[in-house]
Amino acid sequence: MDKEKNLYTVLFAGAMVIVVGTILAYLASALSARIKENERFEKQQNILYAMGVNENEGDGSVDFIPTDRVEQEFTSYITDQLVIEGDKITKDDQAYLIDIKKQLDILKNGETPKLPVFIGEKDGEKFYIIPMYGKGLWDAIWGFMALDEDMTVKGVFFDHKAETPGLGANIKQRYFMDDFKGESILAGTQYAGIKVAKGNNDPVNTIKDDNEVDALAGATITGNGVSSMISKTVNLYKDYFETLRNKE
Amino acid sequence: MALLSKKDANLILDPLADNNPITIQVLGICSALAITAELKASIVMALSVIFVLGLGNVVISLMRNIIPSKIRIIVQLVVVAALVIVVDQVLKAFAYQLSKTLAVFVGLIITNCIIMGRFEAFALGNGVKRSFLDGIGNAAGYGIILIIVGFFRELLGSGTLLGFAVLGDPIAKTGLYSFGYENNGFMLLSPMALIVVGLLIWVQRSRNNALIEEN
Amino acid sequence: MLEHIELFFKSIFIDNMVFATFLGMCSYLAVSKKVTTAVGLGAAVIFVLAVTVPLNWLLDQYLLRDGALAWLGPEYADYNLSFLSFILFIATIATMVQLVEIVVEKFSPALYNSLGIFLPLIAVNCAILGGSLFMQAREIPSLGLAFNYGLSSGIGWFLAIFAIAAIREKIRYSNVPPPLRGLGITFIITGLMAIGFMSFGGMLTGGDEAPVVPEPTTVQKTEKEELKLDKEQEETAVSFNSITKEKE
Repeated sequence: MDKEKNLYTVLFAGAMVIVVGTILAYLASALSARIKENERFEKQQNILYAMGVNENEGDGSVDFIPTDRVEQEFTSYITDQLVIEGDKITKDDQAYLIDIKKQLDILKNGETPKLPVFIGEKDGEKFYIIPMYGKGLWDAIWGFMALDEDMTVKGVFFDHKAETPGLGANIKQRYFMDDFKGESILAGTQYAGIKVAKGNNDPVNTIKDDNEVDALAGATITGNGVSSMISKTVNLYKDYFETLRNKE
Repeated sequence: MALLSKKDANLILDPLADNNPITIQVLGICSALAITAELKASIVMALSVIFVLGLGNVVISLMRNIIPSKIRIIVQLVVVAALVIVVDQVLKAFAYQLSKTLAVFVGLIITNCIIMGRFEAFALGNGVKRSFLDGIGNAAGYGIILIIVGFFRELLGSGTLLGFAVLGDPIAKTGLYSFGYENNGFMLLSPMALIVVGLLIWVQRSRNNALIEEN
Repeated sequence: MLEHIELFFKSIFIDNMVFATFLGMCSYLAVSKKVTTAVGLGAAVIFVLAVTVPLNWLLDQYLLRDGALAWLGPEYADYNLSFLSFILFIATIATMVQLVEIVVEKFSPALYNSLGIFLPLIAVNCAILGGSLFMQAREIPSLGLAFNYGLSSGIGWFLAIFAIAAIREKIRYSNVPPPLRGLGITFIITGLMAIGFMSFGGMLTGGDEAPVVPEPTTVQKTEKEELKLDKEQEETAVSFNSITKEKE
């Protein structure tokens, strides 16, 4: 058949769409179970990481509980999983599967979202872990933050989809995440969140009561994204935190 | 190189220097600037492009006699995009951590004009073996520039290489920093990648005067 | 209206395709030797971006994003085809480019002669795909804004290639070291221009690169829209602002 004929072109395009479509659809459906499982493990790893259950060695590495143990460790450390829906708080041991991004979309439409809280216990200490979701320079950033009853940060975990390697991508580096430990999300009695601040002359973060951590060089917008993600999330969970603090 | 004839060997060797995709052919600049703040990211990107371009060139070369010329650009784009999506999905299922590291690069690989450029200029008109070698060679030539730029930007910008502090600790003032040396944070910003590549071109063309443009 | 104006100037100056995100660099460097050709390519980029971004916005909205198929019926609401975005976006772009090429060649040979040779170049210009991907990542809310975004990004790209072409025409009379002539000096000039463009980051946001802790009024507005805060929460949002303001 003549390669330059219109009919051939149309047939070729049709065949190509069918072949490529079949391959991609087959792959997507064949692998989706494994991909889902990997994503589930990752969430458990991240939640545990935020509350300090990890395999970090030295001061540089970020190492999670390996996937073959994570399920078991998750059930042993996380004692309760709560879902806050308006004023209603229910227990749900699948709460960690809630997609916080979808819930934020629901909130945007004016409906009541389901907000998960994970309560962890380690060495007699109680942790309240909340998920966060926001925007960096290029794409989504997200993470988890572990707090105690006094609203002091016990640990955080950040991750990102496509921040610049070497700059914004460093939010998932150990030194940046460790900086948040000990900071309070309260300023006086207000829920202020934590600001990623440039030039606060406190590079090793010795001042823990200023609601600020030192920013990453060259990653202003990602840093600002982290600040606004934290303040937004804290605002969402404010009422729940208030009940925690009043309990004492 | 006994396996390859001299002509075939040149397909790999030429793009490494005198016909380098970045400094001579002006292809694949965008990604070269975006990810070279860190040496590790540069190496990962170089390896991914070698893989995709080598494989893509083979696929296009196999199909070269049946692709209608009117829609060849669409076909080429679909081949790259499909290849990258397949690799991405497979990695997500079987090597999740690796796929997370590579996620940033997926978009950059598809839009990398070096891939389209070689499909169009070489694979459409040459046999499978030669196309494969051309793909590997060009991707490697691209990778070399990436790695050189990444090396200088990470060393001068953060004082580290592959994440290891090679110049000492800037906060505790050890090593080179005890003499008052400071990291140049400016090197981490993308415009500096442009300037580093510009300087590389200067070095390359000073060594080989045949490459000098008239204006 | 205000958001249109803001997006327009933001895409041209602050998020300039060439100087801020370094997209479309290859054709920018290769086709900027003469002002006339640069203008031709720039115009083609404006046109293609202004057409493909809204088109891809429709695709994203009604086909690709999580839950986008809900308009077909509730049973389709769970599908998430976003893994196909790359291939569909790129197919739209390539199709549009070839369509435009065929139409222009048929009806206006004069225009084709001046513009036509650039059209195939555009399909591989990563600024075009970049425009659609940014549109998706930044969740541009309406078709009108998507068109605005495509158009203004294109104008920003046009501006960049126009400026560098003019500089390159002038620099021919300067005594550049021979090995730097042509490509080398263009790289360096572009780097310097990009550094200059960074200062536009101060526009619109009044010195702070991203509206993380914006003026209280804007917080109230955006937060109201996004979070549907009740009155009590609003007060906290304002006081959060005044706290951080004090610190600055």
